[in-house]
Amino acid sequence: MESFIINLLNGLSWGMLLFLISVGLTTVFGVLGVLNFAHGSFFMLGAYLCMQVMHIVPSFWVGLLVGPLVVALLAALVEKQLLRRVYGRDIAFQLLLTFAILLVLDDGVRIIWGPGYHVVEPPAVLAGVFSLFDNTYPIYRLFLVFAGPVIGLMLWAFFRFSRWGKRIRAAAMDPEMAEGIGIRVPLLFTAVFALGCWLAGMGGALAAPHQSLAPAMGERIIIESFIVVVAGGMGSFPGAFIGALALGLFESFGTVFLGRVQMAIPYIVLAAVLLIRPRGLFGQED
Amino acid sequence: MKMNKRLPVVFVAILLMGLVFAPLAPAATPVKIGFVYIMSGPFSAYGQFAKKGAELAVAEINAAGGINGHPVEAYFEDSTGKPDVAIRAFRKLVFQEKVNYLIGLDSSGVAKTVVPSIPQMKTPLIITHAATPDVTGSVCNRYVFRISVNLAQNVKAASLLAAETGATTWTTVGPDYAFGHQSWEYFEKYLKAIKPGMTFLPKDEVAFPPFKTTDFSPYINKVMQSKADGVLVSLWGGNLIDFVRQGKEMGLFNGKKQILITLGAAVEVLGALKDKMPEGLWVGTRYWFLANDSARNTAFVKAYHDRYGEYPSYNAHGAYGAVYTYKAAAEKAGSIDKEKIIDALEGLTVELPVGKITIRPEDHQALTDACWGKTAADPAYPIRVLKPIKIFKAADVTPSVTDAGCKK
Repeated sequence: MESFIINLLNGLSWGMLLFLISVGLTTVFGVLGVLNFAHGSFFMLGAYLCMQVMHIVPSFWVGLLVGPLVVALLAALVEKQLLRRVYGRDIAFQLLLTFAILLVLDDGVRIIWGPGYHVVEPPAVLAGVFSLFDNTYPIYRLFLVFAGPVIGLMLWAFFRFSRWGKRIRAAAMDPEMAEGIGIRVPLLFTAVFALGCWLAGMGGALAAPHQSLAPAMGERIIIESFIVVVAGGMGSFPGAFIGALALGLFESFGTVFLGRVQMAIPYIVLAAVLLIRPRGLFGQED
Repeated sequence: MKMNKRLPVVFVAILLMGLVFAPLAPAATPVKIGFVYIMSGPFSAYGQFAKKGAELAVAEINAAGGINGHPVEAYFEDSTGKPDVAIRAFRKLVFQEKVNYLIGLDSSGVAKTVVPSIPQMKTPLIITHAATPDVTGSVCNRYVFRISVNLAQNVKAASLLAAETGATTWTTVGPDYAFGHQSWEYFEKYLKAIKPGMTFLPKDEVAFPPFKTTDFSPYINKVMQSKADGVLVSLWGGNLIDFVRQGKEMGLFNGKKQILITLGAAVEVLGALKDKMPEGLWVGTRYWFLANDSARNTAFVKAYHDRYGEYPSYNAHGAYGAVYTYKAAAEKAGSIDKEKIIDALEGLTVELPVGKITIRPEDHQALTDACWGKTAADPAYPIRVLKPIKIFKAADVTPSVTDAGCKK
């Protein structure tokens, strides 16, 4: 029982982090139709910028607020100057461009912050542990379990009810028609890309107290995010949520009960999902 | 018409090239050394350390008159941690840059694949980091040497320590590739021989997290739930940093289990963790900058700290030491010829900051002491230091030539 609850919490906290990152990836794909290879690099940038802000103002909360915002600003610039040129072109152009952005960001981080490892401390309120049966469990991880759904719900409400959310959904469905009724689609696209990357940056800043920072740290997470997004259905919000939770739980329980086989499970599940539902669990059939 | 327009440009270009390259013509033919380390990606810290160590050695040697009077030039290439890229880098260094000697290699996986193709390049290679016993064992050859502590030496020291901890049931947490698995395999083999009656958890109960893991809590949980009272940890770099922080939060280091971390005394790990590194853990390394106060070591640590503002890591020491090893071999051979250098390297004894090392002629592994210690706070240093330090003599931890299994 005890071990079950600890594994459950482990799986949930990792799953929630994955969800934040994946939902950004899936939103950008759903609206812009761009598969952003550099998404993991924005995740990395979020972590580093959070750390950098904390060097100036020694508060994790300020870092969490400002770091991802800077990421979003940079993303808006990237969309306006670079990404905009490849919409509607062959998918290879998008992949090449976003991959190039990944390389530039990874090396940029290495030049600015050096190749070494960095750690970020969790805020004092969340730094401790609480006792769980005979064990202790870090409070910060519990915070992650709750932070994910809160941000997710806010996003969902934003897309569902707000004027901007409705415009975004309209533009995703039919950009030409949306433009026809007076929605400024290019501006909207910039905003959506910035939002997607803000989520990645948020994921990075939230992950920072939990894992060490090193250049190219985003490359590890991008693979898992892709699994989540593809299995959940490209562009699907609930798909990203279910996919991320499932992957997080598979990893935590699989590690304990299955040993090495666990590594193969995400890929087997992904393959099985694609065989049964080629567009993913929540994917829309064309 | 077109030709005529371009011709002057070509002339000017040639002229300029002459101007640029003329002053570079060296007085004596240089000795060129090619370095291949991981210079990009998540492990680029290791390449960066090696580069710092190498550049310090080259600067010192050139200021003191070079190797047998030849100035030393360093060439750095990125292995990216991939075997095929590393082989291409070596080929480029040997055939294009025409380097005399090679130094390098961080990853055991890369080393094992690259080593068999070094003889084709007819150029000696000194390995300074990759620890797999295979490169001075099953795939050893005339051209490849290693001056750093290898996995067998480090783990033999670990098992000598383990025998004294009082723990009787052992498990492991190691990276899920050859290094992690071999560390566990050798540990089991050595500890069984030193102290019979020890129990080792079977393969499916130990923890081998994949390299990309950032969340170690399931593995930590698994170890904490197991009946083992001793844990061999062979994670390194960022993996180790994450493992230690998360393990500390979850209470892994509360003293219930004996924990040995084979590469825990690496300064890049200690430097990132600072006071988050628990005290009183047994940690190993390949070189510890406070392990001896010989004049050689003191001078090296001071020169390194003056130049870079940090303490030398084992990878910095490895690359630094390898340059000096080539220098010593060239002096012994009285030549800079590649084949003569190889003959001189066999059996060579040289004093490096880590201490005196001797390269075994049979398998080309250096007999070098293994260093372990207990983490402790010291107000004089920003990082955890080792107190006490335990030095295991090379003779006590190096497998015999027969056991190493090298058939050149």
